[in-house]
Formats: sequence, C-alpha cells, structure tokens
Amino acid sequence: MKSLHAFRTKLCSVAMLAAAVFAIATPVWAHHSFTMFDMTKRLTLTGSITSFEWTNPHAYIEIDVPDEKGAVKHWSIEMGSPSILMQSGWKFNSIHAGDKLTIIINPMKSGQNGGFLSQATLPDGKVLFNGPRQEPPPAPTQK
Amino acid sequence: MNLKISTATLLAFAPAILNAQSASAPPDLTGVWGIYRGGPGSDPKFRPPAPGPLVLKPEYDKPYQERRAKESAAAQRGEQLDNTSARCIPYGVPTMMAIAIYPIEIIQNPKQVTIISEAFSEVRRVYLDRPQWKIEDVAPGYYGRSVGHWEGDTLVVDTVGIKPTVSGYRGMPHSPQMRVTDRIRLISSEILHDQITIDDPVVLEKPVVYTVAFKKMPADYEMVEFVCDNNREYVDENGVVRLKLHDK
Repeated sequence: MKSLHAFRTKLCSVAMLAAAVFAIATPVWAHHSFTMFDMTKRLTLTGSITSFEWTNPHAYIEIDVPDEKGAVKHWSIEMGSPSILMQSGWKFNSIHAGDKLTIIINPMKSGQNGGFLSQATLPDGKVLFNGPRQEPPPAPTQK
Repeated sequence: MNLKISTATLLAFAPAILNAQSASAPPDLTGVWGIYRGGPGSDPKFRPPAPGPLVLKPEYDKPYQERRAKESAAAQRGEQLDNTSARCIPYGVPTMMAIAIYPIEIIQNPKQVTIISEAFSEVRRVYLDRPQWKIEDVAPGYYGRSVGHWEGDTLVVDTVGIKPTVSGYRGMPHSPQMRVTDRIRLISSEILHDQITIDDPVVLEKPVVYTVAFKKMPADYEMVEFVCDNNREYVDENGVVRLKLHDK
C-alpha cells in the first residue's frame, strides 16, 4: 500500500499545482470548490464526536466542542470522499461516536460552526490528513 | 480435394498461427488507471499535451463568457455558483474521463470495452461489434451510445447522444449534434493517453481537442464505490452553493 499512497500523493500534488496555475482542462474537484472555506486560516478544536459519517460525496465529523467556560458548541466538519480519505489512511471505522478528538480545520468564511478538515489527531495519537499530502521537494543535488 | 490435415502439419504451423494472432491482437487496456497530469521534471512523452482552444460560435460565446465572469466574481467573494456536480449530478461524457484524482477502470473483451469512473461510479459501455446509430435514433443521456474499433494500437471510440443539459467540457454549451471521439492508446505499459475530440457543428467554430493521461494504478488497487447519498451542499435562492450544517 505504500507504493499506492506515494502514487496518489504525487497525483494530488500535481492536481493542486495544476489548479493553482488554472491551466488544465478538467475538474480538479469532484463535487464542489472550496471557496466557502477560508483555506488561509487554521482553527484547532478538541471535543467529543457525536457521529462520523463515511459517506459520499463527503465524509463528515460531527463534534461537540466545549469552550473554556464549559459551554458546548456543535461543529460540522466536512472531509474528502471515502475514496480520497483512504489514500491518507482513513477507514470507515477510524473513529466512533464518543471518541475524543483534536482536529485542525479551515473554518467557513461565513463564521458558522463548520469547516473543512485539515488534520485529525485520533484517540491513539495517530495523525491523519484530509487526503494525500504534498511530498516535500527533493533535496538539491550536491555538485 | 483432400481436406484431412495431419496432426503433425498442424503442430508445424501452430507457432506461425499463434504469432500472427498476437501480432494482430489489440493491446490490453484492462486495469485501473489514475489521472496523470505530469508536472515539473516529468517526461514530456508521457505528459498530456496542452489542450487545444475552445472556440465557440459568437452567439454561444457571449453567454458563455458572461457565465465564466460571474463564476470568477463569485469565487472572489468566496462563493461558488450553482453547478451540476455540487448537486451530485454525474459528469457524463466526456468530462467523466478525468475528475480530480479519481481513477478509472477499463475492462476489455473482444466485443466490449467498459470504462468505469470512480467519481460518481459512472459507466461507459463501448461496443466493438456493431455500427453506430444515427444521432436522432439515440435516446439523449449522460453517456449516449458508444461504439469503438481498433486502428492499429489505438481504440477509437465514437459517442453520440449526449443531452445538452449534461455538464460540458469546461462548462461549454453543446447541442444534440455533439459527437465525441476518444482515441485511447498505450504510450507505455504504465501510461495511457485518451485524446478526446469534441465536434459540435451547432456550437463550435471548430472541434475541441484535449488529452487526458493516465498512469497504471498498483495492481492491488480496488475501486471504491461512490453513491451520493449524503449531499449536504445545496443551492440557495441566489444560486449560490451552501453547506448544510447540523446542530447535533
């Protein structure tokens, strides 16, 4: 599976690059663009999962997040599709209702309690991303 | 005339017969293929060539450009305008051949080539043993009717019968007269190219040509189902795509 992961990682990197230069002829997302999320902001949330929906076109984490005074706010977090998530190690049973979870999200521009997952730290400490990650650039060749 | 052929004679000619068959046999495209867009440092032989221009007739170009300008302005505001994919409507032919980083699976036999896209689980059936129908005899749909034949090592697929409401290449409009030609061939054992030509004498000044490249997925890859049964995106009264949030 390692070779598969590396392959999809490269594919994703290329797709992101292509999207950035707006030079390709085919859709770079399957369902919708991510303009509703502020991809320049990252917000860390820690809370208790109320449901994990392994569905298409997107998976979702529903999570109750207490603030510093103990008041609980509910958040809906959008993820990639199961197909995309599987390329970064997610499984349909990676997390469950009742699990404690820390996530980093790109929040909605509207200010509502929603966002797009960037990464999640699972109860066992494992960190999973929302799809394949860009590989670091190769080290420069020494002359 | 004596038609009896001895076993020894058959055995003597068998290698020649087998060689002749393998020489004329089409390449086997069967397998799962991931989108390959190339990138810095990639071999230009494997990269898809740059797409050709999309030149619409003036009466179609004006509303098309206006729509693109509105989409661009909405994106600047952080909004996406209504589109078919946000409503989980499949892409159809030819767009389904390359969606984000979702692979396609090709299953080939002498009479049919079947192409399945992982995104939205879309399916094209390409019949190799029958002629194409007239466009007006094909029920308009997302995949139309596809027939194919081999020209040397290239699978040439002819598709007609795509209904005009199906999402067009780069959002282009298209008429019932649209004809899509795929020329699919192996560039190497690991790289596949599909050169797609869209011809629409009603809408286009000249055919559009673009190429999608694929790289063979690892042999253990299993296609993932994609049934759109939890679409939380919806389109509001202003035609903007919104996300439905839950409160528990």
